[in-house]
Amino acid sequence: MWHFNRSTIAAVLLLGTLLPARAQLGFLKPDALVSQYAGSIGQGSIGAGYTIFNKKGNLDLVYGYVPKAAGGVDHIATIKTAVRPWKIPVSPQVAVYPVNPGLFATWHFGADYDLRFDEAQYPNNYYWWSPALRLHLAVSSELRIKLNKRESSDRAIALYSEFNTNDLYAVSWWQNRETVSFFDIVRAGVGLRIYF
Amino acid sequence: MTRTSLLLLVFFILSGCGKLEYSPNQSFDRNSPVALNKTNINRLLQTPGDDTIRFILGGDTQRAYDNTSAFVASANRVPGVDFVVIDGDISDFGLLLEMEEVHERLSKLSVPYIAVIGNHDLVSHGETVFKRMYGDLDFSFTYKQVKFICHNTNSREYKFNGRVPDLDWLGNALHDPGYFVSIGHVPPVSGDFDQALRPHYTKLLRQHPRMLANLYAHTTKTEVLPAESENDSPMMTTGGINMRMYSVITLVNTQFSVKHVAF
Repeated sequence: MWHFNRSTIAAVLLLGTLLPARAQLGFLKPDALVSQYAGSIGQGSIGAGYTIFNKKGNLDLVYGYVPKAAGGVDHIATIKTAVRPWKIPVSPQVAVYPVNPGLFATWHFGADYDLRFDEAQYPNNYYWWSPALRLHLAVSSELRIKLNKRESSDRAIALYSEFNTNDLYAVSWWQNRETVSFFDIVRAGVGLRIYF
Repeated sequence: MTRTSLLLLVFFILSGCGKLEYSPNQSFDRNSPVALNKTNINRLLQTPGDDTIRFILGGDTQRAYDNTSAFVASANRVPGVDFVVIDGDISDFGLLLEMEEVHERLSKLSVPYIAVIGNHDLVSHGETVFKRMYGDLDFSFTYKQVKFICHNTNSREYKFNGRVPDLDWLGNALHDPGYFVSIGHVPPVSGDFDQALRPHYTKLLRQHPRMLANLYAHTTKTEVLPAESENDSPMMTTGGINMRMYSVITLVNTQFSVKHVAF
């Protein structure tokens, strides 16, 4: 069951206030709907995407879920950012963004997770890492298909695949490069973005 | 249009190259092994062997994948070994990836290996990962008339709730008429062990007339712990595979002897 500690409540409220509430708050209206399969943010995940950096970047707020039957239960909130430095036009309506580096942070909800291990239970720095918060390095490839031929329209549908690793995996690899290859710590996901 | 189709194809092939992950905290994936302790114990009980029981006690493979591979190479060169015990802290962060990477290396041991739960294995979803991959946290098996009692001594992870170690379970496990070896991760001398349970625990195990050895890890020191009373059976900690240490234990005619190895 859900464990509502202070950090969980704070994270949920933060996520809630950032999602678009009213039409008047125009800048809060998302530029895309994002849904993803796997990629370390849930078995399935859904969220709002915002275009930033003059359309060359994105900021996504995503909620993901892993059911018990798939190795959960895990409820995950994610903030993702990425940039798209290269665009390869394929046809007037199709473009490939082949290498899009990004960063994302995931927050894992539940009784077993908190920002820090409980000070009352463990002496100082007993476990140094955060059980709830993971930092990820990512790179994606995106195939985007414009739905409206007009230059001024952003409406499009995009398919992407994304590779990522996280802070704990990276630390594990760095200290064991003799027998652990970097690819051993890379994980994948695929997704769909619908640009409005 | 053909170019688009080709790109789409390449795209989807590329996306299949990586290993899909739902969450770093997921407790299993499609290829995760299950019930390894049961499988390995069955394998052990089917080997004929001789009058001597010789096993390797190693612990704390946590975040030490290179050293775990070196450990396997070293352990495979020790003559007359019947099995290996990995005495806790298989993982550092309680993650599936860690336990799978360690298992991948340990599966190259020429003898079966048995895993005991450590404190690091209990954080996040680690307990669920461990239970599915290895089995129960308290378990025992009898090999050549010696009963090995492998149990959970990670009291701090349960906020010293008085139920870890499980004294009722231990009491029942000791009802056999033969000899015993006790194996846990956190030794009773540690502050991470429930000191309120220590006197009863010591009476049950270390002071049992047919206890041959009390084996632990966790402390990063290879140490034979001195007897605290005249009925105390031998007790030791092994320094950890992450520290490139393990111990080779031999039981002959109920006599315990140990050789420590730095590899």
